[in-house]
Amino acid sequence: MPRPRRAQHCCRETALFSMANVRHLILLLLYCDGMNTETTPSPPSDPVFTTRKAVSKGQNQVITEELAILTPQNIELLCNLTDIPNNPPNITGYWAKDGQEIENSEETVNRINEQYVLKKTFSIQARDLGNYSCIFRENKAQVTFVLDVPVIKDKRDKPVVSYTRDSVVLECKLKYTPNTWNWYKANNTEKELINVTANPLNYKIFNNGNRTKLTILNLSEEHSGKYICSAVFDIKPSESYIELKVLSYTEPLKPFIAIVVEVIVLVTLILLWEKCSKPQHDSSSAGENDVCSEQTTKLTRDESNGVENNTARRRKLDD
Amino acid sequence: MPPSASTNLGYTPPDGGWGWAVVFGSFISIGFSYAFPKSLTIYFKEIQEYFSISYSEIAWVSSIMLATMYAGGPVSSVLVNRYGSRPVVIAGGLMVGVAMVMASFGTTILHLYLCVGVIGGFGLAFNLQPSLTIIGKYFLVKRPIANGLAMAGSPVFLSTLAPLNQFLFDHFGWRGSFLILGGVVLNCCVAGSLMRPIKIKTKPPVSKTTDENDTAKPDVTSQTAGQDKSKQSGCAAKVSQFIDISLFKHRGYLIYLVGNVLLFFGFFAPVVFLAPYAKHQGIDEYSAAFLLSIFALVDMFARPGTGLVANTKWIRPKIQYFFSFSVTYNGLCHLICPLLPGYSGLVVYAVIFGLAFGMVCALLFEVLMDLVGAQRFSSAVGLATIIECGPVLLGPPISGLLVDIFMDYKYMYYACGMMMLAGGVFLFIMNFYNYRLLEKEEKEKQVEDRLEIGSAKELAANEEDKDNEEKIRLNTEEEVGKSICEEP
Repeated sequence: MPRPRRAQHCCRETALFSMANVRHLILLLLYCDGMNTETTPSPPSDPVFTTRKAVSKGQNQVITEELAILTPQNIELLCNLTDIPNNPPNITGYWAKDGQEIENSEETVNRINEQYVLKKTFSIQARDLGNYSCIFRENKAQVTFVLDVPVIKDKRDKPVVSYTRDSVVLECKLKYTPNTWNWYKANNTEKELINVTANPLNYKIFNNGNRTKLTILNLSEEHSGKYICSAVFDIKPSESYIELKVLSYTEPLKPFIAIVVEVIVLVTLILLWEKCSKPQHDSSSAGENDVCSEQTTKLTRDESNGVENNTARRRKLDD
Repeated sequence: MPPSASTNLGYTPPDGGWGWAVVFGSFISIGFSYAFPKSLTIYFKEIQEYFSISYSEIAWVSSIMLATMYAGGPVSSVLVNRYGSRPVVIAGGLMVGVAMVMASFGTTILHLYLCVGVIGGFGLAFNLQPSLTIIGKYFLVKRPIANGLAMAGSPVFLSTLAPLNQFLFDHFGWRGSFLILGGVVLNCCVAGSLMRPIKIKTKPPVSKTTDENDTAKPDVTSQTAGQDKSKQSGCAAKVSQFIDISLFKHRGYLIYLVGNVLLFFGFFAPVVFLAPYAKHQGIDEYSAAFLLSIFALVDMFARPGTGLVANTKWIRPKIQYFFSFSVTYNGLCHLICPLLPGYSGLVVYAVIFGLAFGMVCALLFEVLMDLVGAQRFSSAVGLATIIECGPVLLGPPISGLLVDIFMDYKYMYYACGMMMLAGGVFLFIMNFYNYRLLEKEEKEKQVEDRLEIGSAKELAANEEDKDNEEKIRLNTEEEVGKSICEEP
């Protein structure tokens, strides 16, 4: 099948990388931004060029590649297959979206320089985001491109803990800068937008490019719950949530008092035991000490060649 | 021939019995002192966001705490010299506890600097010195083992406090955690209560005894053979009532100080940068953290192990050489590290480094006790820690600077390795020289002693003769008396 020509002039370069190692499956991606298929051409925005390499050892591998899509665009996905045994003159492969085969996408590619290149251009709008896979049936090789808005990573698994009448800062950050950030409070299944202008005493939002901070002042127990930060992109907003737990001061106070009590009990026991064992200790250990001291001087004499004896003797003579 | 400073205690240490309870108490105190500042770093990210400050500003909390802990050494020594170990440790535990509780209510970062950094640091200093001092008072023959066991507190507590802090943080946030940690650290008071002041039994009348082993007066009898008696005049006399600055004339002590300053420049930085170096090599976060766990585990067992080895009759007399060897081994370890490839290379490095680190830590205070003796140890360690304060604090930032300049960790490792190697070689050479001088001085003293003994024997013989004469006279008088009484 001839390569689609409409995507031709927006692509500046195609870069093909190949690994020298045996049995690798190498992917190259080429982004083409700009031209829609509609009649009114919009001025092309600057193309974004990204090349990514995914290496798989062995033939029967499934590779996943994540791509962040910020704006609606046309994108050409390219799969490069190398090191196939027997080197057949051509291979068939097809495309699937979210596990379902795309109709009429089956294509036979010819071998070029020991490589087989399968590519297809997709027009991506908000509803088109998903997993796109190129599958080579006979070789059982598959590459999956995950097309999605940038995901807010390093999300806390555990809730943020704070205390009543205190304040707390909730933060979200991304690799890419969205158009704007929004914060919502989740009430069961509903989302309620946090409006800073309506409530300046309690909430403060600070947006700085690819990060946002929500400060909640004057906390009370009702503030506990899920807070959703939303990064608004052209194509679709990307969301993440943080859970907040507001405790009262009595919560940590209980273990604290328990530990203090334990410390006081132990100290008292130890000091009491010392007082009780003192009288016997004094009377019985006088004799012991002489025996002990003889033994230790003997030991130390062996170890230190009689130095202690000399010093002891010197002290005796000093008197 | 070892330096003879060990026995001017005036009594023989028990070397067992309650001493092991004291070792346990020291284990707890030392564990808190070293592990507590490091384990607080888990809270830094959240506190940083809360106060809207940069990472370096929050890192100051740990640095101030560590700095105050080292700088508070002399103060601690003065107090121990005056009041003994127990009250100082209990006071220290209370200080840190109160500091953490106050910090949990903090509203500014300055509040944290003062509470956690300054007050907490002093409290930890009051825990560290007395714990070390009291081991010297309870142990002599088994002292290296006791030291090794007590110093093992640091890695044990670090491995315990790190997950505990994480757990507290997840459940209570940083404020609640600080409150609870304030309670946990009060257990230092329990450790302090275990540190019974040692009771001196008065010896049979011939030998001189010192009644209290924690008097304020400095040791007047001459120290290791050949050192000048400290000339006390005016101001110096007043200062030396509190802390023994004649130590600066002690040859062995000066060698120890110089060696320590050299070695501390390269001592802690490799620990700090182990995980970042691993991540830089492309290793994931969990495996990098696992490296630190391996390091801590090996360290935990290396310290008592080193104590056992140092206690043997082959090593104990020459323990200074053993210490120099461990420092040199540490240096070599860092020089080899950058050459080991891959994750398995790093694991091997972590094991070897853990061993080396444990060896040095276990021997660090044992050799000081060996040099200056238990009586002067508390002053010695106070003065040593305040001088070590500089390299300990400057070491990691300078190493960080090296990493930033060269964008490669290996130069930092080379630098640390060279510093430790220099320290180790210096200690080897100077200790060889010191041992030789000490042997010479001992021989001179022995010659003097023999002369004295010779004359003393004559005196004693004369005394005996006189006594015999007295006895005979008494007997004859009695007989005369009896005969008088019997006469009707």
